[in-house]
Parts: sequence; C-alpha cells; structure tokens
Amino acid sequence: MIESRGVATVAIGLVRPHIEKTRSPRGVWVPFPLGRPFGEPDDKAFQRRVLMQALALLERPQGPVLLEDFPDDAPSMKDRADWEPQVVLPPLQTPTLADSAAWIAGMGAELTSVAPHWEAAKHRFGHTNVGLSRVGMDAWAPYLATFLRGEIPESPVASLSPALVARYIADDMKAFYMEAVQAIGQQPSGLQVNRWFWDGTLAAELLRALRTAALNSENNGFKTAGSRFIVPAPFVAKA
Amino acid sequence: MARLEDIPQATREVVLALAMPELPGQPWVQPKPLAQCRIAILTSAALHRRSEMPFAAGTAEFRELPASLAASEIAMSHISINYDRVGYARDINVAYPIDRLKELAGEGGIGSVAATHYSVMGSTDPATMAESADGITARLKQEGVDAVILAPV
Repeated sequence: MIESRGVATVAIGLVRPHIEKTRSPRGVWVPFPLGRPFGEPDDKAFQRRVLMQALALLERPQGPVLLEDFPDDAPSMKDRADWEPQVVLPPLQTPTLADSAAWIAGMGAELTSVAPHWEAAKHRFGHTNVGLSRVGMDAWAPYLATFLRGEIPESPVASLSPALVARYIADDMKAFYMEAVQAIGQQPSGLQVNRWFWDGTLAAELLRALRTAALNSENNGFKTAGSRFIVPAPFVAKA
Repeated sequence: MARLEDIPQATREVVLALAMPELPGQPWVQPKPLAQCRIAILTSAALHRRSEMPFAAGTAEFRELPASLAASEIAMSHISINYDRVGYARDINVAYPIDRLKELAGEGGIGSVAATHYSVMGSTDPATMAESADGITARLKQEGVDAVILAPV
C-alpha cells in the first residue's frame, strides 16, 4: 500500500502464506514466534542480520516480487534448561468466584512479592508495558473481583468502557508478572515465562475466573472482551 | 511463527483464515543506494507514546513515533493476546528495531534514520486503511524518506 503510493518498502513476514499472498514487492520471511519479527531479544548481532537481509533487498534492481527466507531460528525459541524463576510466590490458594475478599487479599500478597522483581526488571530493561489501564496496581483485584460477583463496575477511565478497563488491567497484570520474572538471570523462552505465569500464579487464576464470569455475563462488551481477549487459547485450562 | 506448525492450533486457524488482500498491480519503486537511503519503520505492533490512549480494536488510525522517543516512553496496546510479548518485555528492538537502525546509520550502512516512524494496529482490516496509507506516505515523502521497513508482530 505504501509502495503503490511511491515509497519503496521491504516487509518482514512472520506468516509465510500471508507474505506470499500479499505479494509485497520485497519480503523476508522469518521463522520466529509471532511478536518477534527481529528474532532474538538482547542480541544486537542477530537482530542486525535480519534487518540487513531485509535492507539488502532494497539494493536489488529486479522486481516486482522478491521473497527470501531468513535461514536460522532464534536461540531463545528453545527452552533454556537451566532457567529457574527467581520470584517466590505465596502458596497458591484459589478462591471461589464470588469470594471477593479472598481474591483481594490473595492478590495483595502475591503482587507484594512480585513488585520488587518488577521494579528490578524495569530498571534492567529500561521500560515497562504496565500502565495501559491507567489503574493502579492496588485497584486491579478489587476492580476485577466486581465482575466475578456478576456485577459491572463503573469505569474509572472516562474514555474506556468497564470491560475495556478490565481487559487492559489483564494486559497490565500479564506484563507485570512476565517482566518481573525476567528481572534476574539469562533469557528464558517465551513459553517458559508463559508456563510459569499461567500454571502457578493467583493472577492467572483470577484471569481465568474473569473469563468464566465473562462467558456467563449478559453484558455484551464484557462477554466479548472477557472471553476472547484475556486468556490465550493454549492456557484456558491450567496445565 | 513463524513456522505454522509451531503456532498453537487455535491461533493458527485464525491466522490462516484471515483474508489477506491481494493488492492490485505490481508496484516497484527503486530507491537510492542503501548507504544514501533515509529509512523509516512502519510497525503493526500498535506502539504509541505511553501518555496516549491505547489503540481501539479495529481502528484504522496510525500514530507517529519520533525516533528520539525512549523505550521508557513507548507502550504497546495491540488487541491480540495470541502473540509473544515476553521478548518485547526484554528488548523493544525485537519488534521495533529503532536502535539497530540508528547504529547502522552511525556506521554508514544506511544514509540516515527518519525522524518519525509509524505504528498501526495490525489486526485491523487492511481494506479500511487506505486513508492512513495516504497519510503515512505523504509524511514519508515530506520528510524525504527513501524506504520503509514493514514490521509485523
């Protein structure tokens, strides 16, 4: 769409059938997980190889369709055998759906134990994605617990619906934990971090409970956001 | 993904069922030699300034990302929950390689890095995005950008 308007382009493609079908004038298909078009975090040389293979296509005179494959997997696509999560969590006790006090107390304790790691991760990596909801950490569980009781809370953010705030709190929670657990040590695979979160934290149980509440809700906004945009399909059931 | 067989089944089915546009014609613009090119990034990761509101689902808008924007000032609000964010949590360059581009420019591998880069919501139907494509292209030309890297998530 950009090239037909007069500016040269080169596309990175994660899904080969897509890049084949859209017939980008220049493209490099990469074998990395969705979300990682340049392959390997914290590896300048690797990212640069992907970038250079793409940029080199701009020097080629022939067209109109050039499609190459990047030859190598990224190292962190494999689990790191010696990776151990350094976050020590309180013992996991999952409350019943409507027991708001237990959710709030349990989440309070868990967030307190994760918070120092998240601070360290923010310092180590120089950024955080926590903050989309504009709701402070202390208010996450009380707000979500309202949905678990079958009620729809008032949105605390003027331009966002109650369901959207819930969705962004879920995003914030996932980012908070998945950043925190990477604060120390070498790089785990994406799947290792996801398994740690979805298989062992009360936060994950809270998000699963939120999904269940959404499926049973008569509020269409919450039903959609809560059932489809909170828990990824591979983690709907606990391992 | 990515290798298709590595994608969880539910996501794979959705991804493969997407109606990808078959764009008319076969456009081809020959840029300058790479060492003279001014390069911009267009990411579909729904990146924006942290101070801005998230991208809404289905939005056809685009946002501008100044090259000088620090990682600590960038947020990602893509609607999909079915792609990896763990790598991005460590290093934004795995999705938005702005630092790599700056290094290449410093070494003379490319001419220069555009002052402004662009971000859209990748799950939006491309058929609705002509106006954004017009807007982005106009800005690219105004800034003298010679080529754009299209980076999905």
